[in-house]
Amino acid sequence: MALAIEDAMELNFSGNSTTTTTTTPEEDYTTCYYWNDWSPVIDWDAFPAAHDDFRGLIESIMENDEPHQIHEVFQDVSNSISTTSMMIDEEPEPEPGNEDLKGLRLVHLLMAAAEALTGANQSSELAQVILVRLKELVSPTNGTNMERLAAYFSQALQGLLEGSVGVQGKNYRDHHHQSDVVAAFQLFQDMSPYVNFGHFTANQAILEAVVEDKRVHIVDYDIMEGIQWASLMQALVTRKDSHPAPHLRITALTRNGNGRKSIRTVQETGRRLIDFAESIGQPFSFHQCRLDPDEAFGPSVLKLVKGEALVVNCMLHLPHISYRAPNSVASFLSGAKALNPKLVTLVEEEMGRTGEGGFVGRFMDSLHHYSAVYDSLEAGLPVQDRARVLVERVFLGPRIVGTVGRIYRGGGEEEGECSWGEWMGGAGFRPVGISYFNHCQAKLLLGVFNDGYRVELASNKLVLGWKSRGLLSASVWTPSYSNAELSTTSF
Amino acid sequence: MFHAKKPTMNSHDRPMCVQGDSGLVLTTDPKPRLRWTAELHERFVDAVTQLGGPDKATPKSIMRVMGVKGLTLYHLKSHLQKFRLGKQPHKEFNDHSVKDGERVSALDLQRNAASSSGFMVHSMNENLHITESLRRHMEAQREQLEVQKHLQLRIEAQGKYMQTILEKACETLSGENMASASYKGDGSQGIVEMEAMKDFGTPVNFPCLQDLHIYGEQIDMQQLTDRSSLDGFLPTNDSVCLGKKRPSLHGGSSKNPFIWLSDDFRLQELGNMAACLGSQEDSFKGEHLQIPPSTINSTGSDLDSLSDVYETKPILTGDAMGEKKFEASKLERPSPRRASLPVERVNPAIKGAALSQGRNLPYG
Repeated sequence: MALAIEDAMELNFSGNSTTTTTTTPEEDYTTCYYWNDWSPVIDWDAFPAAHDDFRGLIESIMENDEPHQIHEVFQDVSNSISTTSMMIDEEPEPEPGNEDLKGLRLVHLLMAAAEALTGANQSSELAQVILVRLKELVSPTNGTNMERLAAYFSQALQGLLEGSVGVQGKNYRDHHHQSDVVAAFQLFQDMSPYVNFGHFTANQAILEAVVEDKRVHIVDYDIMEGIQWASLMQALVTRKDSHPAPHLRITALTRNGNGRKSIRTVQETGRRLIDFAESIGQPFSFHQCRLDPDEAFGPSVLKLVKGEALVVNCMLHLPHISYRAPNSVASFLSGAKALNPKLVTLVEEEMGRTGEGGFVGRFMDSLHHYSAVYDSLEAGLPVQDRARVLVERVFLGPRIVGTVGRIYRGGGEEEGECSWGEWMGGAGFRPVGISYFNHCQAKLLLGVFNDGYRVELASNKLVLGWKSRGLLSASVWTPSYSNAELSTTSF
Repeated sequence: MFHAKKPTMNSHDRPMCVQGDSGLVLTTDPKPRLRWTAELHERFVDAVTQLGGPDKATPKSIMRVMGVKGLTLYHLKSHLQKFRLGKQPHKEFNDHSVKDGERVSALDLQRNAASSSGFMVHSMNENLHITESLRRHMEAQREQLEVQKHLQLRIEAQGKYMQTILEKACETLSGENMASASYKGDGSQGIVEMEAMKDFGTPVNFPCLQDLHIYGEQIDMQQLTDRSSLDGFLPTNDSVCLGKKRPSLHGGSSKNPFIWLSDDFRLQELGNMAACLGSQEDSFKGEHLQIPPSTINSTGSDLDSLSDVYETKPILTGDAMGEKKFEASKLERPSPRRASLPVERVNPAIKGAALSQGRNLPYG
């Protein structure tokens, strides 16, 4: 019978199934494969001009507005890259080739700019020239995915050029009106599974870990509006009778350097959580842990209670702010280790293999990452959609700018290179497996969105991806040894 | 169409797929052999259960309970015997929660196996294997249903929470606007925004807001919901929300298994709020979600006049919308939502329904 229903569903929607992309799934895979294989720095030898003629090449790109002339220039490269899928356009009226070439041109310009900024032939003048040209071609609010995306990337590069991207990424909260932020957040949650995937996976892992505990204490790195905890509380309250709802305590972290707005937000979040908990009958208390900018996070700044199960929650994915200095995250996780928690939940963005390639390589990887995100958002919405533009403006754009800045400063073998998951593995944590329930939940969650979303199960993490590009990973950890001296004691 | 599907999605409902008539199928053998179809067997099992199990039931009583014309004691005797034999190793198939299709197939096997006594043992082993894999399959499905149930509850809770955020945001906005209006004398700008909003097209919210603004009073839900201008209003939330537990807002009613209700709800509220915020004219194919434009940044604080209204706005998504709205929204379902279903779907109906009822707002 289930089958019968499925078939019926197929029938009903058959007309609607494949309108989201202009390519077949196979092509997508192929292209993504190519893209992943494509070395981050373009193979300049493939070009008619030699590497030294880089400048001439770029100039020729910029002077020429004729697509076919550009096509000639990039002949070799274009031939080896399937151009039809990375930049997916919804408008079929113009020749598809044209749009793709435009998108490709943008990619090349961005890469060239990144090269000019940091490559062997470093030249800020050249970079400036390229960026100016880019600015003419793109806009953050109009055009195709690639155009809007390129707008933010070139804005990021521009910022690097001018030295205006500070050590701390800009806090979007301070830059956008509160209503914009809330609206964008709501939309983002509804148009994609990113937010919920991270929260629900972490929550389920927490639920499983504290199933027999009477007191639970969660330390949250970036609580934002506290949306993650609503569903956790609900789940705790509806636990089986043999395990009545435990007392839940949440400590939210703030740093005094982050702006008074964020501190106020956390206070409001606390009030809201308290009200909510009361409305569903969940015993709850809320604390705020305000750290000075250079104060280390650790057992000394927290109030711990004997017998409570300590959980450390570190959400770094959109729309959480993670482009704060990597030091902040590292300090947090190190401090977490010292606390000897029962569980650590970590959700972060997946970055591709970075390996060699330096700044340009990671820049291009980041471009690929966000183009997948843009594609995934587009898959459910028409192109000129204000909702997406808002989400891009409030969350994605600033994040892109922050990420590029972080990559730029990162260079070398620092935390910027490896994922936090890898870092955890080497910092005294061992992985905790993801349960069948959790995996199933993730699949169900994705099931409501577009087909292109995939979830992959690795030993201790679930990876949410779009088509073949992994985007988000939710992982679960526990200290690899339990230090009796560090066990929770009352202070 | 989804209405029709609804009843079948509840796994506790009686399975409906087998709808043949109740006529008996007799073969043309010299010996009148009755063909035990799935449906017939089901009736048999019901009768047996009613009578207290295969051990207590007698062919005579079964015949009486079943009330099927042409069924003789002979038929029932042999069938009952096979049934009793088959019952031991295959207990789970007598569980009524099993999906009908699977039960039928297993029982068919059982019947086939039992019919030739010579091969009884061998066939029973085969049956055991099949039983095992079927049972595992069923367990997996049960688990998936569990997961789905929990997920649904969690998402609802989240939606409820989200609502408080939206309300708070509206309040904050109102506070800011009040302040700026009185002290900076920028109230006029707020009015300008309102005027601009009045010029906006169809979206339902605007006429409402307009009126609310003019009358400058807290309009309660009743008035809002009576408003005819709410006609195009996103109905999904309401009809879909039938079962949602929002004690403070809805008169929620029937059960609803679909999980994206809360999303619709929030989006709708968002539409309200966003509309409040003097969003730009852009509307998505006549949908009602308005997104605050960049103008908000500069003038957002000046939309004071809208503020009181927004207090009630999130609550607006009340229960006024009737079934017809649901139909309308269903038709407007956006095409990009994919139709093909991934492999491991627990309940395709949920997704289908979600697709139809949810997320069709600006995503047209």
